[in-house]
Amino acid sequence: MAEQTNITVENLSHTYMPPKGKPVLALDGITLSVKDKEFIALLGPSGCGKSTLLYLMGGFLDIQDGQIRVNETPVTEPSRDRGIVFQHFALFPWKTVIQNIRFGLDKMNLAKSERDERARYYIDLVQLHGFEDSFPSQLSGGMKQRAAIARTLAMDPAILLMDEPFGALDAQTRMFMQAELLAILEKTPKTVVFVTHDVHEAVLLADRVAVMSARPGKINEIADIELGGGPKDVKSPEFAEMVDHLWDGVRKEALAAGQGR
Amino acid sequence: MDGVGKLKAIGRRFIPFASILVFLTVWELFARAGVVIPYLLPALSTVLAHVYADIMGGDLFRQLGLTFYRAMTGFFIGAVIAIPLGIMIGRFRFFRWFFDPVISITNPVPKVAFLPIFMIWFGLGDVSKIASVILLVFYPMVIAAIGGTLSVDKQLIWSARSLGASERDLLRQIILPAALPQIITGMQIAVPLALIVSIVAEFLMGGEGIGGKLLFAQRRINSPGVFASIVEIALAGAILIKSLEYMRRRLLVWHPETKLTTA
Amino acid sequence: MNIGLQRIHTFAVKYFPLVILIAIWELLPALGIVSPDILPSILAIAVALIDLFASGTILEHMRVSLFRAFTGLGLAMVFGITAGVTMAWFMPVRIVLNPLIQMFYPMPKSALIPVVIIWFGIGDASKIVLVFLGCMLPMVVGTFNGARGVDRETIWSARSMGTGDFEMIWRILLPSAMPEILNGARTALALCFALLVSAELLISRHGLGFLIGNYNEIGDNTRMFAVILIFALIGYGADRLYLLLRGRTLAWMG
Repeated sequence: MAEQTNITVENLSHTYMPPKGKPVLALDGITLSVKDKEFIALLGPSGCGKSTLLYLMGGFLDIQDGQIRVNETPVTEPSRDRGIVFQHFALFPWKTVIQNIRFGLDKMNLAKSERDERARYYIDLVQLHGFEDSFPSQLSGGMKQRAAIARTLAMDPAILLMDEPFGALDAQTRMFMQAELLAILEKTPKTVVFVTHDVHEAVLLADRVAVMSARPGKINEIADIELGGGPKDVKSPEFAEMVDHLWDGVRKEALAAGQGR
Repeated sequence: MDGVGKLKAIGRRFIPFASILVFLTVWELFARAGVVIPYLLPALSTVLAHVYADIMGGDLFRQLGLTFYRAMTGFFIGAVIAIPLGIMIGRFRFFRWFFDPVISITNPVPKVAFLPIFMIWFGLGDVSKIASVILLVFYPMVIAAIGGTLSVDKQLIWSARSLGASERDLLRQIILPAALPQIITGMQIAVPLALIVSIVAEFLMGGEGIGGKLLFAQRRINSPGVFASIVEIALAGAILIKSLEYMRRRLLVWHPETKLTTA
Repeated sequence: MNIGLQRIHTFAVKYFPLVILIAIWELLPALGIVSPDILPSILAIAVALIDLFASGTILEHMRVSLFRAFTGLGLAMVFGITAGVTMAWFMPVRIVLNPLIQMFYPMPKSALIPVVIIWFGIGDASKIVLVFLGCMLPMVVGTFNGARGVDRETIWSARSMGTGDFEMIWRILLPSAMPEILNGARTALALCFALLVSAELLISRHGLGFLIGNYNEIGDNTRMFAVILIFALIGYGADRLYLLLRGRTLAWMG
């Protein structure tokens, strides 16, 4: 894709109304810009509104105050060029793996042969060959998430929004999936916004990490993860130092939230 | 496996039927002992002989058929109205605003009491009976469809939207299948209800059918006929409920609950 | 805005659809679209209601119906909860009763109307027995499922604190099963009015169901509508009362 893709968030605030009780300010004046083909992680303690920010970028929630623009076009509703991957996969449980992947493809203006070919390509890419006709309930967590990622990638979105995508997986599967995601992005670079509360994961995957404060969510710090280019060496002292540094920030926020600030 | 173990295994298999067997034996012996006059309680063997004669005579299937025809016609019309309406109510605010108070206020009302109104409006024939069935089966199905639609995982809808689904795609490809388990539960309540209402409508409005046959036997002081009809109704009802469970498993192969019940 | 006004406003918006439906009902006979014989106007029904109450006719029948419904339901609750808890706690009882319940549960209870009349005549007894038989099964099943659902750890920790059988049932099983018992009670409540009105419509000399059937036979449709309305209100009111009591019970339980 030759075209540039960037996301601009300007002075975004968001309040939600619980069924009972007072309105809660979830996001407070967020300003952020995501560059073309950049991988940015939103890091913060649970309840800091990082998922809310992602859902607003996706166009799933109505924007109340402030603005989000993708290539200067304001976001108002979900769109094919912003693919989403959820923590709990959100696969359609009554469709098989291949039917899930075909769901979006079949709504595109493509020849049948091309849709078939793309579906096959992404099945292979996420290594789900042989499981095309399984229902999601028959798959392991890691396989479900690979299917969900394939379903989103098959649309070839310019932007990939990921909401703690590996949060529901066990530690070992998570490591495999992280490596696989990086390999896939190597082949098809995209602009990625990745929500996580795992500091190690954020440092490993992202080009930049935005650390968010406890509720109401603000951006405390944006850290550039420049560890000397090339693949990151998780055993390097720089890596550990960056993790420690960010971890400290998150811990302070989590404590502040715990004290009922 | 040794002999004793085998016996135990067989024993365990028959335990569930033991108390039913005892119940039926006590019925037979009690009736034969002449503690009560046969009019009050005909012997089980007499009743079963009556059921057998009904089956062999062929008339039973005509009567059951009539009752089932009204029950199923009412059920299908009711489902065609209730399920799309319930989905619309769950999905669209305007529908919810209009129908929610109407349904929540009229639902707890004992609707059998309205059957005489249908007798005035539609007479004593099939139309009245089918209308009665429609009224009664409407509620469990519409409530199930509303509940099912409202509880569809929001992220499924979001995913579909970001994959380019239109509102029409959403309704047919996401919301309907996602709400299906609850809708089928509503149907599983509605189908036996349809049978019951069909029988009660025959009681009240007269005419042929298994309920009519039962009432006719009672009026003729033919108590073996009364008990035989009840046994026949119970059997028909049980078969109906079992086939619904089978259909549920067939329709929901993708659902985790199916794996649990077949494993 | 004033909170009182706000409430009235919310209430009005919420129930406006009902007002529309009632207006349509009132207009249909008034404009001659349907005959008032087929759909009496609400005004005519109200007049008939006042008359029925003033003469005392309806009160006597209401008393009979409520007595039958609540006696049958009350007995069903006492027996049903006892049986359900006993089944959950003592295996032999479960082995004996469970198959019988499985057998009778799917059976349409309304089909028993002719039998209870053969057994107990056309008076109160037959209706009470019918309501009792119909309502007992949902109570048993609700209680049984609720009491069986108590997790083993809870029972074990109560045991380790020296809880005896009786105390276990009274202090652990029943409170834990309460939500499901109450669900069973709601089913039973709805069933009790449905069975009662079917039986009274079919064969009876007293009760609201009899009154509805009677006005139907003599062709006094306005009064028939009036009695049906009263019966509907009783059913609705009972359900509201149930919701109120359930709210209290569950809140008290925490």
